[in-house]
Amino acid sequence: MKFESEAQRALDTSVSRGADYADVRFGLMRDEHIEIRNGVVSGMSDTESAGFSVRAFYDGAWGFASSAVVSDAEVDRVSALAVDIAKASAQVKGNQRITLLPAGKHVGAYRTPAEIDPAAVSLGDRVKYLIDVEAEVRKARGVTVGRAWLDVWRTFKSFASTEGSLIDQELLQCGSAVHALAVGDGDAQDRIFPGTCGLYQTGGYEIINKADLLSSARRIGDEAVALLSAPQSPSGTMDIVLSGDQVSLQIHESIGHALELDRVLGWEANFSGTSFATLDKCGNFRYGSDIVTVVCDMTCPKALATHGYDDEGTPARCVDLIRDGTLVGYMAGRDTASVANVPVGGCVRSEYWGRLPMIRIGNVNLLPGTTPESELFDGIKNGLYMESNRSWSIDDKRLNFQFGCQIGYEIKDGKKGRLVKNPTYAGMTPKFWNSCDAIGDDRSWVAWGTPNCGKGEPLQTARSCQGASPARFRGVEVGVGYAQ
Amino acid sequence: MLSEITSDRGELEAVLERVFARSQADETEALLYVSDAALTRFTHNSIHENVSELNRNLSVRAVVGKRTGVASTDKLDADGIAGVVERATKIAKLSPEDENFPGLPSAAAAGAPHDPPHPYDEVTARLGADARAAAVAEIAHVMNRHELNAAGYVSSRSDAIAVGNSLGTRRYFRSTDSALNIKAIGQTSSGYAEGFARSFAGLRFAELAERAAKKAVDSANPRSLEPGKYTVILEPPAFHEFVGYLSWIGFGAQPLEEGSSFMAGRLGEKIVGENVTIRDDYAHPKGDGVPFDFEGVARQPVTLIERGVAKDVVYDSYYAAKLKHANTGHALPAPNSEGPLPLNIVIEPGAKSVDELIAETKNGVLVTRSWYIRLVDQKKTLITGMTRDGLFAIKDGKVGRGLKNMRFNESILDALSRCELAKDLARSDSHVLPAAKIEGFHFTSGTEF
Repeated sequence: MKFESEAQRALDTSVSRGADYADVRFGLMRDEHIEIRNGVVSGMSDTESAGFSVRAFYDGAWGFASSAVVSDAEVDRVSALAVDIAKASAQVKGNQRITLLPAGKHVGAYRTPAEIDPAAVSLGDRVKYLIDVEAEVRKARGVTVGRAWLDVWRTFKSFASTEGSLIDQELLQCGSAVHALAVGDGDAQDRIFPGTCGLYQTGGYEIINKADLLSSARRIGDEAVALLSAPQSPSGTMDIVLSGDQVSLQIHESIGHALELDRVLGWEANFSGTSFATLDKCGNFRYGSDIVTVVCDMTCPKALATHGYDDEGTPARCVDLIRDGTLVGYMAGRDTASVANVPVGGCVRSEYWGRLPMIRIGNVNLLPGTTPESELFDGIKNGLYMESNRSWSIDDKRLNFQFGCQIGYEIKDGKKGRLVKNPTYAGMTPKFWNSCDAIGDDRSWVAWGTPNCGKGEPLQTARSCQGASPARFRGVEVGVGYAQ
Repeated sequence: MLSEITSDRGELEAVLERVFARSQADETEALLYVSDAALTRFTHNSIHENVSELNRNLSVRAVVGKRTGVASTDKLDADGIAGVVERATKIAKLSPEDENFPGLPSAAAAGAPHDPPHPYDEVTARLGADARAAAVAEIAHVMNRHELNAAGYVSSRSDAIAVGNSLGTRRYFRSTDSALNIKAIGQTSSGYAEGFARSFAGLRFAELAERAAKKAVDSANPRSLEPGKYTVILEPPAFHEFVGYLSWIGFGAQPLEEGSSFMAGRLGEKIVGENVTIRDDYAHPKGDGVPFDFEGVARQPVTLIERGVAKDVVYDSYYAAKLKHANTGHALPAPNSEGPLPLNIVIEPGAKSVDELIAETKNGVLVTRSWYIRLVDQKKTLITGMTRDGLFAIKDGKVGRGLKNMRFNESILDALSRCELAKDLARSDSHVLPAAKIEGFHFTSGTEF
């Protein structure tokens, strides 16, 4: 294991200072970003960072410290500080005592499978590709701003714990997107491809190739311009079909966050909020219709959150969250799982080496249904199809939501109708998921990644996935926000 | 035990000099920050997360002709500096030319910044976990007395930033900050209070805990409110979140140029009520501003909206040159695809106290805090969001019983055309602003709690 001697030094120091348990993570990160905006390079950066953190558990309380310098002296200082902080935490214990489920001893390594090493694609070739893509967007007459970008994220991390775990991981994540903004008289319309924020997955440069921005760049430019003169999306109650990427965001906000066990237990109450999906509902609450089955699968190939182990040494695994519409599980860490007496999920992660690991949405996937995508409009007399998110809001127990999409089409007598702009829909989470009566089959299922989920204090960004197909929902309120 | 990571001015500036000595680029910019941040988080009146993060980052922008490249690292030894300079220069050489790039700001162009009042407090910089735990214990004591559970945090931090370039610009600034965030939770309700101060000694833990507790107690057993248009009074945390989007979508030169800003084509026009003046002012005594931007240019106070009229937006060196406007010193760190942004919004106060605004309200709603605000329509400045942690009916000039939380859909500019501002300013995160009374505020649906 890389950093093995430094890790042992940190663990020894922590134990000698009184820690009941400690773990240490060393990290090296390298993020490459290129962005083209209206023909010029608006962002081209190569960011590296390295450092380590120690998490210490003392008398039922946590302490955490991190530093950007790896040296014997700094390892000693940070390890001692983590224990001192844990001792300070132990001074203020209320009515919720924390214990830890044992993670077990894991000695191993994991590396993201990749077909094309991004290093094999020169910077010059990447820039040329994005310039071509962005130029294609602005071939659409009336586009005000064209943008195209790509990201390559490499993370190396080494984990060791006082339970004997020694784990090395090399994660590789890639993504790309193209964006068109059209500005008209009192109006501005956006289109992004693929999905809401691009296609982000684990893997090599093949993820960027797969997105094939060039093939759709002109189309999304045309769509952004067409939206300026399109009629306003209707208001009322109607049947809707959501694109797979919009279903993905719906899962993220109304299932993923709702089933993070730290929220359920109130550990995020002051900021990200809690959850309506309380422990007493587990096993008996109808979260959705019979066709709604959702898992958190940290082993899912290509999915953005896939890894070998989480940041507290738990091996990746698949946990049932909603089975045939019934709430059956949560995403849990070692401490929250102990409090709630549920299994750990292997989804405790931190933004980087210097941040406290916490439960993050992993790969929260809605399993595909049986309906061919081409048949999702069937049976809808007067409805609405919506694609790609542009606005998302939900209350702090994850019940009342309102989403807006970039583009909509009327559905008339089972057929796609005219283009409409500013489509929105709203509802209450359980009622909404219980109105789902068709989910696209596995041919339309995509492991959609979300590269920028925020949670925690200090705020941390995490990369999650919500695999989804397009889906149909009955009797949904639409047009909220624009209706008077 | 002292860390090897230092925020000493001499050492940080020495790093910048090593960057400039190493670089072969036509022009070179170096931006170095060091942050020592600690945050103690609590729930159920118990500390459950408690962190100390010591971090640093060196970002180098290399300029080759009209080409630029940026690389960053946290390794500050000779190899680290050589590596980051090499990577930035390589990127610059591969980057296409941007004919509008004006070059880095010279020392003369960067101006002479003035420090805001009392930005650094040694006690806050050296605060330990025991002091933060003691503050949480004080809060927990208040909550136990009211039979409530609290969640929140107590934080303290110190930051140092050094920025300079090969044209002679040199800047250094260090500051401290601290914050307190309390959500008091009862069986059927919750209440909220927050505090921010450059100095930890400036936070009033028990007082704010009592305020949050009172809101939780007073809003117990909330009733539902019918959707519709109401007179609301947004307390500073709610008003801050409500107006926060304006900076992102309209107060910068980039959306102005592109036309997506609500200010585009309307400079000089009245766009909100005459009682509304919005400025960006890093030096406001209640704020947390830095006297220069991330290119080292002295920040200028900018009046964005003056007595209801759209006046100006903020600029960095790129947009100042491109649009032939004075540089106001609002660059973000390179590379930056967002353009310049105001980071220290100040909304001028009105004449009446919040109590007076409430007393003058026959039927209305008092909003403590809002949540998850998102933009629905950029040009219309239409946003949606939820209330949280203390929603109250106002009846015949008095704050009444609690209400279940509501979703709103409202245009920020329209609301600012129907508002009256309170006279007392508060800091809410990086904003300094009063409470606001808004007529005809549109609640579109409710939730279950």
